[in-house]
Formats: sequence, structure tokens, C-alpha cells
Amino acid sequence: MSTVLATLDENTVAEPVLETALRCGQLFGSDVGALHVCRHPGVPHATMASLAERSGVPLRVVSGPVVATLLESLAGPEIVTGVLGARARGEGRDPVGHVAAQILERIAKPVVIVPPDRNVPGRIRRLLVPLEGTEASSRPVTEWLLPRIEEDVELVVVHAFTGVTRPGMLDRPEYDWSLLGDEFLARHFPGATHVELASGPAARRITEASISCQADLVVMSWAQDTSEGRAKTLRAVLRTSSLPVLLLPRTPAEASGPPVAHSVT
Amino acid sequence: MIGEEVVDLLDGEARVVERLPPLVHNADGPSAASGPLARQGQAAAARFAADWLAALGVTGGLVLVVGGDFGNAGGAPGASTYLMVDELARAVFVSLGTEQAGLPPSVVKLGGGQTRLVELLEEQLAHREQRRVPSVDLDPAWVVPLSNAHSHERVCEALATLGNGAAALRGAREEDGPGTVPMFLVNGIYAADGHLLPAPVWTDLDVRNRRSRRVEHRWLDLRTGVLLRLANDETALRTVRFVSVAARHAMALRAEGSPGAIGPGHTPGPSAPEIPLVEQTLGDGTDLARTGTDAPVAVAFRDEVVEGEDRHVVERLAAWAACPDGPVDPEQADERLTEIRHRGFDRLLAEHRAAWAKRWADAEVTIEGDRRSELAARFAVFHLLSAATDTGEAAVGARGLTGEAYNGHVFWDADVFVLPAVAAIRPSAARAMLEYRLRRLPAARALARQRGQIGARFPWESAGDGTDVTPRFVRGRQHQIVPITTGLHEEHIVADVAWAADHYARWTGDAAFLHGPGRDLVVETARYWAGRVRLNRDGRGHIYGAEGPDEYHEVVDDNAYTNVMARWNLRRGADLLAGSEDLDGEADEWRALADTLVDGWDPSRGLYEQFAGYFDLEPLLVAQVAPPPMVADVLLGARRVAGSQIIKQVDTMLLHHLVPNEVIPGSLEAGIAFYEPRTAHGSSLSPAISASLLARAGQPDRALELFRLAAFIDLDDLTGTTAGGLHLAAMGGLWQALAWGFLGMAAEGDTLAICPRLPAAWSSLSLRCVFRGRSIRVRAQHDRVSVDCSDDLLVRIGQGRPRRCGPPGLTAPLEELSLEGARS
Repeated sequence: MSTVLATLDENTVAEPVLETALRCGQLFGSDVGALHVCRHPGVPHATMASLAERSGVPLRVVSGPVVATLLESLAGPEIVTGVLGARARGEGRDPVGHVAAQILERIAKPVVIVPPDRNVPGRIRRLLVPLEGTEASSRPVTEWLLPRIEEDVELVVVHAFTGVTRPGMLDRPEYDWSLLGDEFLARHFPGATHVELASGPAARRITEASISCQADLVVMSWAQDTSEGRAKTLRAVLRTSSLPVLLLPRTPAEASGPPVAHSVT
Repeated sequence: MIGEEVVDLLDGEARVVERLPPLVHNADGPSAASGPLARQGQAAAARFAADWLAALGVTGGLVLVVGGDFGNAGGAPGASTYLMVDELARAVFVSLGTEQAGLPPSVVKLGGGQTRLVELLEEQLAHREQRRVPSVDLDPAWVVPLSNAHSHERVCEALATLGNGAAALRGAREEDGPGTVPMFLVNGIYAADGHLLPAPVWTDLDVRNRRSRRVEHRWLDLRTGVLLRLANDETALRTVRFVSVAARHAMALRAEGSPGAIGPGHTPGPSAPEIPLVEQTLGDGTDLARTGTDAPVAVAFRDEVVEGEDRHVVERLAAWAACPDGPVDPEQADERLTEIRHRGFDRLLAEHRAAWAKRWADAEVTIEGDRRSELAARFAVFHLLSAATDTGEAAVGARGLTGEAYNGHVFWDADVFVLPAVAAIRPSAARAMLEYRLRRLPAARALARQRGQIGARFPWESAGDGTDVTPRFVRGRQHQIVPITTGLHEEHIVADVAWAADHYARWTGDAAFLHGPGRDLVVETARYWAGRVRLNRDGRGHIYGAEGPDEYHEVVDDNAYTNVMARWNLRRGADLLAGSEDLDGEADEWRALADTLVDGWDPSRGLYEQFAGYFDLEPLLVAQVAPPPMVADVLLGARRVAGSQIIKQVDTMLLHHLVPNEVIPGSLEAGIAFYEPRTAHGSSLSPAISASLLARAGQPDRALELFRLAAFIDLDDLTGTTAGGLHLAAMGGLWQALAWGFLGMAAEGDTLAICPRLPAAWSSLSLRCVFRGRSIRVRAQHDRVSVDCSDDLLVRIGQGRPRRCGPPGLTAPLEELSLEGARS
């Protein structure tokens, strides 16, 4: 048995968080549970309780320090992924809010971040998967995500060229874009339905692609490195995306792996 | 060799096939000889044998040299050490004598004398009886090691394609499935939708117990055209395969492994599941498979399985048959297989090796001082030699038969880039390439009429029937329609086809072609331009709305490349009409029209303007954006690039390469100085041509940088699309850079002009090719040039006078060269 755990707080994000958790439960074939952490023992906010009851989701209320308690609950072996609300669209280093940021940095399993203005779809049918063109970025997607979803879920990859992946030559764009895309998928995500290749700022291309392909969920892997200058694209996506973002942590070994070089011989 | 006789063991019995010429030995015979003359005789015999074997494709690593006295005797090296000549480097040296001391470290001491010799020969025969996988000479100058990285799987399949021009097999592993693209393609066999039709893949084997490919090695042997695979694990898997260049329809695969590790797989089929496949097994165990709606191609194959105690062997021989116009008779493939089986694997391999040796005898490239570039150049020549058949017609697509990219369509790549190289290293294949164009003249005439023109208008892309198969649009990122302009506007291909026909005739001396069947390729294309050029009131001829090779500026007026090639085409067509009484008037009109054509020459700048208005564009340089090669339209956006002077590839400068007599003398250097900083080399066709021009302009070291870029386009997958097939035009350009650039070779009537410009990093460059029916070898060093030729030849070195060069050839020291005023 596996469970998608919605972490609810007393704010306006609670409803989309719970709705997104329900959709993720459908996506992964998992049960859905809800959790509310109070700093002090007490009863949950009435709205939150009725929200959970209305959705048929069992709500567990625990007390303790918020981050530590959430981490402990999410670490449960039955929890397949946690769903957290982004408190605000801050411009600072933590666009998802202080608590969510701490969870993301320390948790060893996937987490879905739900933006505050999220419109929840009836069902998650199309995932947008931005990939860097490295084994480290692709592996969590192919190894964690693919086995958990049904075949009819569309997987659209978007890749913004980097200095390593940008081709030096394009003889006949009418043919070569398709060749490049096919080869990109063969190397990095053979299970995907389609790839969009682009140049320019990665975050902007991801946001554009999420709109053009009408995605329901963005899936990104990351190295959980929040030091200065790292995870810029992820931060920008979390800041601007109107879609929930599923974050897949890379193992340390994966995160430090070198990009796939072009040299053959 | 036994004594003075060469003994063939191929058919399982000893058969004398050659006698060595009399060598230096005294009256008592060679066995009694021990003096200097006898030693020289030993070395000469070894060299003779090595050369004789090399002509059969059997080189050092495949040779076992047996002697009796390699060790020091009385302070002097043993007589057998004189067998250790350079030509037999990598050979296995074995001593059967009673060596006392001083055995060279590379010699294996076996002892046992003649008894052991017989045992050794019997072991070789036993290897054949057991059908062991034969060895390959892993000479680093001739083998391309293939990566095992998963990410490069499909790239390596393309790199390791084996072909004979008529058919080709990608280098996928025998058990490969999803994520790979095993493919067998036959030249000229297209599906109804104009795509190359994948033929039945016949190499599938059941390979078991492979835990990791990391312990595996694969090599493409360029010298003999075989693909070798070795696994250093408990499977002891070893496979070798080839597509015969000696027997057009023959193919073979032999695999061995520990018991249980391999077995015949029986799932032939095209890589694409939507391609119809019909399979049947005949009564004698032969498998027969056909693909395509009309089943135009069939493959028959049959296995022989040898199950020994410690090793199993699967030997598969295969034959193909094809009929471009409809269903193939599958019995044809079966009959060919019967014939191939009669010859047997070992003989097929021997003939295949010998045929490759013969090919390389007229195509070898040697670059001393730069082994990496040498291997890359040989890799290019290998695939050029594999790209076109030398009988009938050869449709050489942009990626040849090395993948499905570009659907196997034929572009100007074939005419301007591939053909000149092939004309020099395998003239018959170049003739077959022209035959492809000739047989599509009716379609080209029809296309001209369809577009309201006269003459012949070859399409930008063609496939089986010669009609225009250029896509008209592509879907953009927002699923919007993006028009493709090349099919309607990149008309220079009309003149490119004519140029290829003329170049072939000039290089090979096949005048009968140009004045016979090939004449219409030049005349009908000239006629097209005669109708296409618009005469303005000022009396000048213009070509409006054309697209040059630089596709960043799509539809322009008076593209210099198009106009000058059209001018050349008109003039050459007029030459060929000369003497035809009824057409003399037309010829005069063409000449007059050619003289009016605007060519973009700007005397005030000393430059050709790429097209009308080009000099007014934003004077952006490539270095201001990114180092080349770069895809400028991706980096900056198509609109920005179109408004700038950045160009995708050599355009105007290509005129200096193809028709140097049509451009203003002395304009090469200024043209390079202006256009090179504006050239993004965002096309694989570009860097090799720039390298050639730079070398001719006296800048060989800069040329070398671009040469190396071109050389590794596929080996390093610089475009990210090599998985779809190899860039044959870049390979053809690479050969041209060597021949026309660094060696400065050119056909001047009957005379071969040579004007070498070597980069400092190269101590010598040597090319073998065929010029006007003569096998030649041109070798340039920094201080001299030498020319070997099979027959009398006129050679002009530098700016000197033509001189007669008879066999074996001539050497001219540097001081005799007058290199001033390189051709421009």
C-alpha cells in the first residue's frame, strides 16, 4: 500500500493541496491521507477538518515542531510522495515559503509543491518533464516516475539547450529538429511521448511549454543543493509556474555525475 | 609460406597458389646461406610476402611468422630476425628452433622444429573446421574503437555501418532491440511515401547471460570492412560480420561463445513495426523475409551451428535481392544464398578482404604527424567507398545507407561534395551516381515544365522516381505551419548536377560520357537557366527569388553562388552544343546571356556580394555571438540572423572551390578575409570547404583547425544527429580539403596540377587516387613532392610547366616548386 500525503496548513492553499494530492493519488494508484501539524496540542481548524471530511480523506493531526514533524511523517515507508503548499510567490531564495523550503532541502523522497493560485484539473493526464540532458537529471524520472504511472499518461519533455547539449550544426532544420528530439529522448527518457527543444532561459521555456502543451503537472529532478547560484531554474519555475511541481531528489552520486559528453571514440 | 611456395589452406586442404620470385641465395640454396646476401634475401622475402598478403587484405596482425633462429648466435642476431621487417609489425613471431639465448622479446619460443610447424598448420585447419571467429588486425591506424556508453548506442550503430554501395547494415549488436536502430538498407529501394525502405534485418542472434556491456569491445576495421565484437566475460562472446564488397549480394556473420551463451535468433524484421514483413522458412532450413507493401526487397539467410564442448558457433550467411519497381522474386535471394553457401564463409571473407585491399590501393590516405586526423580521414574515405555501387545507378542520400535520416533523399550533397571524392577514389561509382541523375532527367524536365520553365529542373530532394520530394512545411513549436523554402527556391542544384557531370569527365577523362549520355545533364540544365534568367532594361541578367547555400537568408535576389553557377552552366552547355548545326544559335544566345548575368562582384570592395543588399545588413561577426561552429539562427533567432551578415555556410566562397575560373583572379584571399569571420559553420557541409580554401590561400594551419572540425563531425557527434546516419557530404568535403586544399590538386585538361600547402603539424600527406585512368599516389612533405603513377602522366607542380611523369614516378624538391600565386 502507498499513500500520497497532503500536508495541510491553515491557509488558502489547503484546498488545492488536498485536491492535488487526490489527483496524484489517482496518478500513482495510491491512497491519499492528510496531515496537519500543530505547534501545540489542540483541535484542527474547522475548515480544514471539513475539507478533509468532504474529500473523504482521513486527516491526522499531530503536534510538534512543524518541519521536524513533517519530515518524520513524510519519511514513513508507505508515503510515496508529499504534497505541500507554496505559501507565496516570493522573490527571495525561498519562493515556496520557509517551511516548504526546509522540507525540500532535507527530504529524501519526492514532493509536490502546489502554487497558491492553483487550478486543479479533473485528472492529471499530461506531465511536463524538463530535462537537462544529463544522466543525473533523467535517472530519477525514468527510475522513480515511469514505473508508477499508467501508460496513457502523456509525458512531454522540454529541454533548453545548454552549452553541452546545443548542437554546433543544423544542416536541415526541417529534419534535424526531429532527429535531435528523437535522439534526446532515446538517450535520456525513452518513455516520453514528445520532446520540445528550445534555446534561451530554461525556466521561461519550461513555463512556455507548460502552457503550450497544456500540462497538468511539472516534474523536475534536483540535487537539493540550495547554495548560492544553484537550482536557479527550479527556483524560477517554482516562482512562476501555475502548475504543481513534482520534485524528485537525486541521490548524491547521481547529482555529482558528469554530463554525458559527445565524444564517441 | 613454406619454402618458396605460398600455400592456401582456405578450403581445408593445402594448395599452392603462388611461388615467390627467385631471391638472393647462393649456389647451395637458401638453407645453407648465412652471409649478408642471404640475410638481405630473408628480409626481401619477408617484405615480398608481407606485400603479397597486404594486397589480399591480410596485414601484420593476421600473420604468423615462423623461424628457426631468432636468437643471438655469437653476438650476431639470428638469421630469422631478418624476417622481422616493418611491413610485418604486429605479426606473431614464433621460433621453432633450439634457441640458446638472446631471443627478441616479441618472439614466442615454441621449439619442436618441423613437427611443430605441421602441428601449427593443423591447428589453423582445425580453427577453420570449427568455424572459429577469425581474427582482425587491430592496427590502431585502421580500426575505430566503438564506445559502449548507452548514450552513444545509436551513434555507434551509424559509425559502424558496413556497406558495399548497393546495400548496408548498421552496426547494431546482434541481440539489440528497443532503444537501438538495427537496420539493413538497399540502395534505391524506397517505400511508396518516398522514405528508404528498411529491409529485413538478418543479424539477430539469441545472446544470453550478458551482464554488462562494459566488458565488451567493438572495433570497426576500416582496412577490411569488418565489425569485430569481443566480450571479456564468461560468455566469451565473439562475433565478426561483413557486407561483401566482392560479392554484391553476400553478407556474413559468425559468432562464438560459451555453451548456452549464444544461439540463432529468428526474428528478422525492419526496425519499424509498421513496415509489412513476410517471413517463411524453406524446407532446407533457409529463412526468407521480405519487407514493404509491395515486398520489393528480400533477404535469405541460413545458419550453421557448431556445438562443441566448450564453445558454440553460429555461422550465418545471407543474401539479398531487390526490385525497385515491385515485388521481388524471393527465389532470387534463395538462389544467391545457395551460391554464397557454396563459396563458404572463409572464402567470402578472403575475397572481401582482398576487394577492400584493392579499393584502398586507390584511396589510401596517410598523414604523418597527426594520427588522429589520419584515422578520421580514413574513416571518411571508408564510408565514401561504401556509399555508392559501381554498376547501374547509385542514389547517394545525404546520410547514404547509414540511417534513415533525411529519408534517404538525394540532395546537392551527392553532386558537389560526395561525387568529386568518389570520382577520384572509385570512378565507376561516380559514374553510377551520375546515372542516377541521368535516369531522372525526364522527371527534371517535367518539374521545369510544371514550374513554367524549360530544360531540366532537378529537385532539391529526390528519391526513387526523381520527382520533388522536398517537404513544403514543418510544424513549429506552437504547432504552427513553418514553410520550407528550399524546394521552391534552392535552384542552384540545377547547376550543381551539371557541374558534377562535367567534373567527373574532367577528372576521369571520360569524355565519351560528357559528349554522349551525360551531355543532356549539362545542356538541359543550361536550357533551364536560359529560361530562368531575367534580362532587365539595363541589359543585365538577374535571377530573382532564389536561395543560395546560406539558408539563413532564404529567398534573395541575385545570389552570387546561384548566378555564377548558372553562368558557368550556360557557358559549358554552349560548349557542348558547339558543332550541332541546328543548335549553334541557341549556344550563342546562352553565351551572350551568361555574359550579362550579375555576379555580385564589387570592384570597389574587391569582393563578391553574396546577394543584392547583403552588404547593407547588420555587420555582425560570428565571434561576437559564439565561437564557431554555431547554430546562429537558434542562438539569435532566425529573423535577427537574416538581418545580419552572419551566414550559415560557405556560399559565395564555394565558387572559388568549384569554378575558380569563373571568379576574378586574386579574389580568394580578400573573400576569405571578409566571409570567414561571418561564417557560422552551422552546416556540416561548411568547415571542410573553408579548410580547403584556407589551405589554397596559404593558411594551412588555420585550415587544419577547420579540417579537424569537419573530420570529427560524426566521430564526436557534433551535430547530435549522427544516430540518424553519417554526414556523407562532410566526408566528401574532407577528402576535397585533402586533395584540392592541402595538396592543391586540380585537373587541368590532361595535366594533374599539384600545389601543396601542408600545416606545420603534418610532416607529410599522401593520397592515392585515380586520375584519368592512372593509379597515382601524391605525397607531399614540407620540402618535396613525389608522385607515383601507374602509367605516363602529365604533372604540373606549383606554377611550373607540365612535365611528363612515367612509372614509377617523380620527386620534386621544394626549391623547384614555385608556389607563388596559388590558384584563386
